[in-house]
Amino acid sequence: MQAINLEEIDRQIKVIKQAVSDLSIARKQFPAVDRNLVRLSASLKMLELNVSDVIDVN
Amino acid sequence: MNSEHIYWNPVLEKLPPEKIRQLQLIKFKKILKWTYDHSRFHRQLYDNAGLKVEDIQSFDDIQRVPKVEKSMMRDIQRKEPFPYGDALCVPLDEVTIFRQTSGTTGQPVYQPDTWQDWEWWAECWCYVLWAQGYRPTDRVFIPFGYNIFVAFWAGHYAAEKLGCEVVPGGVLDTKARILKIQELKATALMATPTYVLGMADTARTKLNIDPAELTIEKITCAGEPGASISSTKKRMQEAWGAKVYDHSGATEIGAWSYECTAQPGGIHVNEGFFLVEIEDVETGEIIEEPGHRGKMIITALDRMAQPCVRFDSKDIIEWDTKTCDCGRTFRIIKGGVVGRADDITKVKGVLLSPSAIEEVVRGIEGLGDEYEVVVDKLGDIDRIKLKIEIVSGWEDKVKSIESRLKNELRLKTNLGYRIEFYDYGQLPRYDVKAKRFKDLRNKH
Repeated sequence: MQAINLEEIDRQIKVIKQAVSDLSIARKQFPAVDRNLVRLSASLKMLELNVSDVIDVN
Repeated sequence: MNSEHIYWNPVLEKLPPEKIRQLQLIKFKKILKWTYDHSRFHRQLYDNAGLKVEDIQSFDDIQRVPKVEKSMMRDIQRKEPFPYGDALCVPLDEVTIFRQTSGTTGQPVYQPDTWQDWEWWAECWCYVLWAQGYRPTDRVFIPFGYNIFVAFWAGHYAAEKLGCEVVPGGVLDTKARILKIQELKATALMATPTYVLGMADTARTKLNIDPAELTIEKITCAGEPGASISSTKKRMQEAWGAKVYDHSGATEIGAWSYECTAQPGGIHVNEGFFLVEIEDVETGEIIEEPGHRGKMIITALDRMAQPCVRFDSKDIIEWDTKTCDCGRTFRIIKGGVVGRADDITKVKGVLLSPSAIEEVVRGIEGLGDEYEVVVDKLGDIDRIKLKIEIVSGWEDKVKSIESRLKNELRLKTNLGYRIEFYDYGQLPRYDVKAKRFKDLRNKH
């Protein structure tokens, strides 16, 4: 089984997180962006729980 | 199946125990700080105990954090911010879903969840379902009344998240649900043990369908201890010709545990997302070693809107000594949740667990699935009556069944019982959680 590169997954998670943060500028004027970002952020948080948090101890 | 696909999270579920503890401590400190900073209720609780967040530096320190009981949550709710009160940690407009507890033990507790918390609920359930063999090819039938109780809601969302095809069997009656399972060739099912057995009974007696001939391959049970009671599990598995798995969770906690396909005789605690402590009911000491029962004190390490920090669940559990063949390092609760501290009542000075009675009843051929236990007093003396149904065709064996039942109950529970036999179908049936234990001693 190929080793899982947690650091690389975490790095990509951070890239997406930054993209979400950048998109946030458009939130106030654009409900469709705002509410979908809420959902996207929740999914991102689940990625962090599964990967980024584990890096701290692995 | 390729071994690399056994785990929902192949890193977290196989972390060495010392690293799991390390992760739990880091997360506990974070959720404690979040709770202190955002919940007036918790801040007051900790201030009154003289506890500072930074005091918690080790696992032993965690025991200094005051526990939260359900009654405390009842007291603060139905007030501003309405209706959740002072334990709400987010602005009201971030709450997206309302749920409440069933109210079995008193006034229901309200549970607010943000979208992130709801995603977290589903994530916890993904661990449950993946460990029980659910895959995108499954067609999952969910026969429960979708309503204000969390029940299988998160199971539904998790199955969708896994990529399963979900069939919500909400407002259908039992017969219609069985026929829909047959029509769609559903492969998996989620229900309480009581309802799993009840559906099988309805299939056989009202529809002349053998449930084992249907296409259900796996059943996830929750809401009652039955799927970890060996005799009840055996009855369900034989009735449906399917593997039956246990799961334990609660509205104010989350989906904290799961049995895996190795069926180790207990349930794994999802120790990446929850911290479970077991407290001796008599001494209040934390029990670290396996083999000693106590009540569960639990922390949901990532639940934010209304946190669950050192919640006194009153569930009676014990650690298992063994590790699981599945390879997960998450510890096992032996035999699942065996009862509740407020359910396990002293009768004639002896601690009585209703699940011990169920183990005996469901292990005897000729007895129906339903039963009822009534405890009352004659003068100053406690009495226990067991009401039980005899299956049609077994009436001439009542005497020998009664003798066996009394012997096995005495061995298992150290108590004597009066047995009352009923014809099959006379005792109440339940669609969700059964109410089979009645304590009438304070009602005289």
